[in-house]
Amino acid sequence: MKKRVGILLVFALLFIGFLANWTYSYYQGLEEAYIPIHEASDILVIPSEKKVFERSGYALDYLNMPVDENHQRTLDTYYNNRAYPGAPPSIPHPVKEKLGMGSNICLQCHQNGGFVEKFNAYAPVTPHPEMINCKQCHVEQQTKSTFVATNFYKKPAPEVGVNNALPGSPPAIPHQLQMRENCLSCHAGPAAVKELWIDHPERINCRQCHVPKAQEVQNVELFVRANTNLK
Amino acid sequence: MYQSVHTNRRDFIKKMAMLSAMTAAASMFPGIIFAKEQEKGIPAGANLDWKKAPCRFCGVGCGVLIGTENGKAIAVKGDPKSPVNKGLCCVKGYHSIMAMYGKDRLTKPLVKKNGRYVQTSMKEALDLVASKMQETIKDHGKDAVSIYGSGQWTIPDGYVASKLFKGCIGTNNVEANARLCMATAVTGFLTSFGLDEPMGCYEDIDHADTFVLWGNNMAEMHPVLFSRLLDQRLKRGVKIIDFATRTTRTSMAADKSIIFNPQTDLAVANAICYEIINNGWMNKAFVEEHCNFSKGLTNMGYGLEDNYKFTDKPESISFEDYKAFLEDYTPEKVSKLTGVSVKDIKYLAAHFGNPNKKVMSFWCMGMNQHSRGTWVNNLVYNIHLLTGKISSPGNSPFSLTGQPSACGTVREVGTLTHKLPHGVVMNKEHREFAAKIWDVPVENIPSKPTYHTVEMFRALDRGDIRFMWIQVTNPMVTMPKLKRYRDGAKKEGRFIVVSDIYPTPTTDIADVILPSAMWVEREGMYGNSERRTQYFEQMVEPPGEAMSDTMQLIEVAKRMGYEKQFYYKDETHIEEIYTEYRRHHDNKKHNMAPLEVLKSQSGAMWPYVDGKETKWRFNAKYDPACSNGKDFHFYGKKDGKAIIWQRPYEPAAEEPDTEFPYWLGTGRVVEHWHTGSMTRRIPVLHQAMPHAYVELHPDDAKRMQIRTGDNVKLTTRRGEITLPASVNERGVPAPMQVFVPFFDENMLINDITLDSFCPISKEPDYKKCAVKVEKA
Repeated sequence: MKKRVGILLVFALLFIGFLANWTYSYYQGLEEAYIPIHEASDILVIPSEKKVFERSGYALDYLNMPVDENHQRTLDTYYNNRAYPGAPPSIPHPVKEKLGMGSNICLQCHQNGGFVEKFNAYAPVTPHPEMINCKQCHVEQQTKSTFVATNFYKKPAPEVGVNNALPGSPPAIPHQLQMRENCLSCHAGPAAVKELWIDHPERINCRQCHVPKAQEVQNVELFVRANTNLK
Repeated sequence: MYQSVHTNRRDFIKKMAMLSAMTAAASMFPGIIFAKEQEKGIPAGANLDWKKAPCRFCGVGCGVLIGTENGKAIAVKGDPKSPVNKGLCCVKGYHSIMAMYGKDRLTKPLVKKNGRYVQTSMKEALDLVASKMQETIKDHGKDAVSIYGSGQWTIPDGYVASKLFKGCIGTNNVEANARLCMATAVTGFLTSFGLDEPMGCYEDIDHADTFVLWGNNMAEMHPVLFSRLLDQRLKRGVKIIDFATRTTRTSMAADKSIIFNPQTDLAVANAICYEIINNGWMNKAFVEEHCNFSKGLTNMGYGLEDNYKFTDKPESISFEDYKAFLEDYTPEKVSKLTGVSVKDIKYLAAHFGNPNKKVMSFWCMGMNQHSRGTWVNNLVYNIHLLTGKISSPGNSPFSLTGQPSACGTVREVGTLTHKLPHGVVMNKEHREFAAKIWDVPVENIPSKPTYHTVEMFRALDRGDIRFMWIQVTNPMVTMPKLKRYRDGAKKEGRFIVVSDIYPTPTTDIADVILPSAMWVEREGMYGNSERRTQYFEQMVEPPGEAMSDTMQLIEVAKRMGYEKQFYYKDETHIEEIYTEYRRHHDNKKHNMAPLEVLKSQSGAMWPYVDGKETKWRFNAKYDPACSNGKDFHFYGKKDGKAIIWQRPYEPAAEEPDTEFPYWLGTGRVVEHWHTGSMTRRIPVLHQAMPHAYVELHPDDAKRMQIRTGDNVKLTTRRGEITLPASVNERGVPAPMQVFVPFFDENMLINDITLDSFCPISKEPDYKKCAVKVEKA
């Protein structure tokens, strides 16, 4: 008898539970049906602004990273790998996978960097990991020879240490920012060139102090306002 | 149920792991200390003399160290000892000294004769100013002369201006461009708490868990404070929520960005209060003990007509009344109006409602330059009061400022028509108190306020004001509906004196141009947003005959026969003025630190009582002025209670329609400060941002086939202007909105803005008017 009551009770409870649940979700449904569904407005991404802040999660790691002097890149190797300052660097190592466009195969090392035993070097970090057809711009160098010689003038790279307006003031950015909006990818981390290494990666909002110098803008003529003491 | 701050478990574990690594790292560096690194860039052997000063530009009030060599300022570094910026500056601060060396610096006075400017000596020019002022008073009465200064006035500048005009001449025609910028913050504080200026301080940033930025592009406008937020995010994983009408650099840096339709922040704030009350998140004990409820008049109008007057009539209401009022602001109803999803409204409310989270709100011009600005200020205080998240470390509604001494000079010295250094002109005791210190008969100080800024320029246009002295500000770039006021100022029979360091559109309307000594070319003090008063000494000589604004005013006052009141000696006048000024605030609620203290450290926050600054006002633990024996005491109000205001949503003065279908908002960029008269003369900054532009949403641009750089014509009911387009660059406005920065005197956007203002604060709304957009 007791057992039966017990079983009945269990079922009764289950039923009450079911009812409660059902009513609750019914009313929830009603409420949802009532709520005018406003999709959250799409927050646009401004690439030139957004990317500055990317990788900032690693800033503290960068800050405390010991310098591996034996494997540092120099400014020379950095620019030797580019046809001109700002050109896409070529791939300086053999690529086994000839078929693909690059994508994950490149990104596995170049998205976040790290030491690659095989090449005895730190992988540089790409500032634009979302562009996955890597090989459309970055090509492997199969030979060092040329077809015919070239008269191409290779503009010298922007100098380091001369871009500040005042002694000790933050240097202006001497290069174009297109596709290189993410500062930390080149200026911090173990693969960063020694001369381009920043000592304050944790500051994050880079362009509050470093403003572009070489951007393409409409030129404004020297402005002269009347009513000065100038003769 | 509180919305979990962590979205899912996996994410949470990942973040916890990161956080533990961070705490380990965080203990290794205490804050933003940076100057050592900067020093590396200074050539060895440079024989620099480093002296401290507050930065010349915004209201954050960063401590800078200025290096001088052979009488010239040649380098700047952040002052690591300053508790404000801890050694970091922004690009403007690092290059600030270059603002002193523009080639067209004004060095000698220029006086207009037969339509041409003739160079003269300072003595003659000041004689002319004094005699012209006396002549105007004789012919048209005292209220026909006026002075218009700014939040860039040092404390002594503003103090002598107020003393001369209110105390000696006897007119309340004293205004400052802070009216265009801070007035709403003032009325917000006064209506909610009875006393002006933030209760908290920047140190709140080190304690808060969530930061809500109300229409505030902090990453560009207050970058150094924003860096302190980013710093805390790295170390403690705090949340930054950007709540704005436009996608900006701040949105890109924030953890969450929420976009709302212009003017509807009123509704969202009320919806947050609705959620807080209806979810039981209200801090009942705090509200019962420390808050009253009130309502004021509605349908106030927008001040578009001349001689518009408005006085609010506050009325007490009960909590039940207030709760019933909020029924109109359920998230569901508000969502339709505001364009903010119900989920996002609840998300915001959950952050405020969570009793375990400390929340800091920041705002600046988005909420202040708002035709219902006082209301929206009140509403944000409501949120903090309802949850008791106020006046304690990390719980802080914080109103930011844009000028170096908007607080120190305009708000504290009181260079507004209704203000005195202590109290208001309407109050007899306050007048008597000021008259005693100023050594003038009390009858001198009129008991009625005269014109607020917009009305002052209207009075100039009408001819009620005949003489205006403009110091350290550039109204012919910054006034809304500018064309009317420019034409008015140029009318016959007006005499305009402009004290400035460079020729600007404002010197164009001047009859006398006086060359000023700026910043560290003289001695002075600024007061920043966190009630910190900072002193700077003279470090370099001003060019030519340039003279500080303080000295110009003293010289004119003496010429007008007020030698007795302007007894200050040339060598010590700043110290004497400051000492005299301190007497106005000699009480526990506002005591200012003595000059020796300001000289010896990076400023001090008032109330400075018994050798200690007060970090959190109204909190008995920190504020010695609390006297009711409870935890909190809002002593600005008679019964010691803060007010929670019932303020509804009302539309803006001019909203888009079929003829003018877009919203137009204006603002700033990180490189330039205000009208650019200084920053555009700094080559680094000009090269980074050489001209203004109009930002469009990419969809609108596509529809009209406009690309970056194409000329775009903007037309409002006030006129038209053509600017180059900017699509997907620095900022992106919402669809059917455009944004134009106002720094460019060659593209005066204010020619077409609207002069509607908040009826309580009289501060114009530069963020909202209706505009037509066409490809030019």
